[in-house]
Amino acid sequence: MTTYILRRLIQTVIVILLLSYFCFYVMTLMPGDPVELMIQSNPKITSEDVARLRTLYGLDQPAYKRYLNWAGSITQGDLGYSRTYRVPVSELIGPKLINTFILSMASLGLALLIAVPLGVYSALRAGSKIDYAVNFFAFAGISVPSFWLGIVLIILFAVWLPLFPAGGTFTIGVEGSILDRVKYLVLPTLSLAYLQIGTFVRYTRSSMMEAMRNDYIRTAKAKGLSRREVIWKHGFRNALLPLITIATLSLSGIFSGALITETVFAYQGVGKLVYDSIISNDFNVAMVSFIISVTMVLTMNLLADILYGFADPRISFK
Amino acid sequence: MKKTIMNALIATVLSATMIQSPAQAALNNNEFKIGISQEFETLNPIIFTMVASVYMYGLVGRSLVALDANGKWVPQLAKSIPTLENGGAKLVTVKGKKTVQATWEILEKAKWGDGQPVVCDDFKLAREIAESPNVSVGAKETFTQVDTIEWDAKNPKKCTFTYDKARWNFNQIGQFYAVPRHLEEAVFKKWKDKKEGYETNSNYAKNPTMEGLYNGPYKIQEVKLGSHLTFVPNPHFYGPAPQIKKIVIKLFPNTATLEANLRSGTIDSISSLGFTMDQALAFEKKVKSESLPYSVEFKPSLTYEHIDLNLENPILKDVRVRKALVYSINREDMVKALFDGKQPVALHNLATIDPWFTSDPKKITVYSFSKREASKLLDEAGWKMGPDGVRMKDGKKLSLTFMTTAGNKIRETVQTFLQNNWKAVGIEVVIKNEPARVFFGETMKKRKYGAMGMYAWMSAPESDLKPSFHSSQIPSAKNGWSGQNQMAWSNPKVDEICEKMETEFDLKKRIALAQEFLKLYTDEVPVIPLYYRSDIAVSPLALKNFRLPGHQYSETNEAETWTVQ
Repeated sequence: MTTYILRRLIQTVIVILLLSYFCFYVMTLMPGDPVELMIQSNPKITSEDVARLRTLYGLDQPAYKRYLNWAGSITQGDLGYSRTYRVPVSELIGPKLINTFILSMASLGLALLIAVPLGVYSALRAGSKIDYAVNFFAFAGISVPSFWLGIVLIILFAVWLPLFPAGGTFTIGVEGSILDRVKYLVLPTLSLAYLQIGTFVRYTRSSMMEAMRNDYIRTAKAKGLSRREVIWKHGFRNALLPLITIATLSLSGIFSGALITETVFAYQGVGKLVYDSIISNDFNVAMVSFIISVTMVLTMNLLADILYGFADPRISFK
Repeated sequence: MKKTIMNALIATVLSATMIQSPAQAALNNNEFKIGISQEFETLNPIIFTMVASVYMYGLVGRSLVALDANGKWVPQLAKSIPTLENGGAKLVTVKGKKTVQATWEILEKAKWGDGQPVVCDDFKLAREIAESPNVSVGAKETFTQVDTIEWDAKNPKKCTFTYDKARWNFNQIGQFYAVPRHLEEAVFKKWKDKKEGYETNSNYAKNPTMEGLYNGPYKIQEVKLGSHLTFVPNPHFYGPAPQIKKIVIKLFPNTATLEANLRSGTIDSISSLGFTMDQALAFEKKVKSESLPYSVEFKPSLTYEHIDLNLENPILKDVRVRKALVYSINREDMVKALFDGKQPVALHNLATIDPWFTSDPKKITVYSFSKREASKLLDEAGWKMGPDGVRMKDGKKLSLTFMTTAGNKIRETVQTFLQNNWKAVGIEVVIKNEPARVFFGETMKKRKYGAMGMYAWMSAPESDLKPSFHSSQIPSAKNGWSGQNQMAWSNPKVDEICEKMETEFDLKKRIALAQEFLKLYTDEVPVIPLYYRSDIAVSPLALKNFRLPGHQYSETNEAETWTVQ
């Protein structure tokens, strides 16, 4: 198992290196650059200014040279400087990563907490009124656009019934209070979780239904095992594999997947930062975000593979 | 029992959250929260480029002069504005070069937030930093237009500015901001040789709440990039003490949620960098129908929405076709139908606030909507109506591509309106939009827009015409696609006017030159002016002395006069 993990980790590093250059190169092919954006906001910028700024930013150099410069700085621990916000990337991205992590984990936890029992319950009572209701609820979650749900939640719980703040991350001036942070987390968490619940319910329901049709379930029942044991020890454990895949893949996307929710709720997360950095060609921020995303995807895939082994002893790591 | 516990829980949650609900807070001078929808950066006045940063800097920093809400130049840090007429400036010859020298005297009371006086040396440092090749200053000339800054050691507040050349607008240096030498000189000296070293390590980036960095009515109490900034009064401000004790500017990237945040009390007002026109019009109706305690303000600005005509397009080379394009669109109806008349029709590139503006039909060609006139011009140009309602000439259809930024709802609605107008006179218009990044970064820059490209130009009163209209500013591969004359308008007379205006000190003569230019602009129609965009803000009725300026110096330049009553 250790050899397997080591081999996968080495593969991960190679994939990150290759993909980072590929993405850097693709970004250089996109029309416009940071200087273009400056021209749009300041008509006084002259053609001499444009040439000077392009040289200063190294935009006049070939992509591979710019990549090597960037990669060289990264290996020395210097994440670079955001040209949009004019601060070091580490200062900019660190707190936002934590915020997004909190939001994503809270919503993922809530989604799993609600979706798994609902999916199992629905699978065990397939075709019943409750099953129809759960399916309706799940499909609504999958179909509802996240920005719409966000705005509806704001109108319901911030304007009509002023229970929670309409937007933000914390009350200005009371940054340290956990209760205050929770208050600001409720609506974005609900919004994000509802979108995930639909998917998780559908996956759990279908894999559970399939698992419960297997011969070993009939055997377990014939052996006289209790209903609880049959469902959770034999049925649910076998239904776990697809759920592990979907949950770990959701985890890998937590740093980029909350863009719309973060924007609607003005939540200080990294989703919008990543989007803006790509749009405004803020290379350093975009590349650091990209590395984090790729690392998350690869790590979570590795984690999923390891978890498969625990869920299903038939899977080996050779 | 379970029910009782549940009820108690709900009651606790409700009371806990509702007590702290911002909607319950009464509006007063203790705290005022403003919503914006545009990102901001650190507030180093030499470096920043974002409009939202300029907006915020109005609260904390002042320059020697600025435009007030009436569009008049007024002194801020300066005692008065030097002119040739009042003797504050004179034409001189330095090293054989004719130039202008002006005396700027800084107010005795002008101090940085830590009590240190604002002196000529602070302006000199700003110029030194801007001149460094390692600092990413946008428009460098803003600072380097002043060649030297000198003063008598006995009076460090009386500065002699010697300019690089004889500029008529030498005293319109509202964006020449000072930086405190006592705080920034050490940083600059340490980092000046490293690329972007100064801006990364400047106190504005590292210690943005350092009070000595600012000389305006407020100083920064808290900065959260991408979230909010908190401002509190600067006790050393030279002007009247601000009435509002705390201003919070909060970012809401999604404009659709601004209204909900306003109504829930999360913010008290929406800045000029908030609502879009359609959102503002919808909210204004709600304000009236629901008697909400807000005022929605619209102020026509210097930003003008227009269509660049590609003069290298074979069809558009004929001025009669270009004129027909203008005659055939009903811009008056368009602004009424789409903007409730809140954004006035543009006659040309200059706005009414500009001293050079004229609407006199004796001085410019005014195009009123006339399908008959348009049809006559197209007939004269040889474009005859075809059987399918589209005009033809030599077997070719009168078909033009019309591009703008995809996803911009207002622009797309305008496109459809204009397309219908043109269809009525037999002009086929094919809409082909692109994301803003591609449209500006590639298509407009390299003049690949086919026939018509719609977008807006930000401007300033008495703005230099050269970057947009001089033939040397036509973007091409030779000049690295720089310049803003994307129409490829090449007229020697226009070039001559642009050059003359740069050095014409007499306002009357400048106005005459500008109007000569406007005559050529309206006669030759390189551009179809559409409308002047309006700045929009929502303020509570209780807020007094709030004025929208409609130009590049934002409403925050008068923040010290704001008060909640």
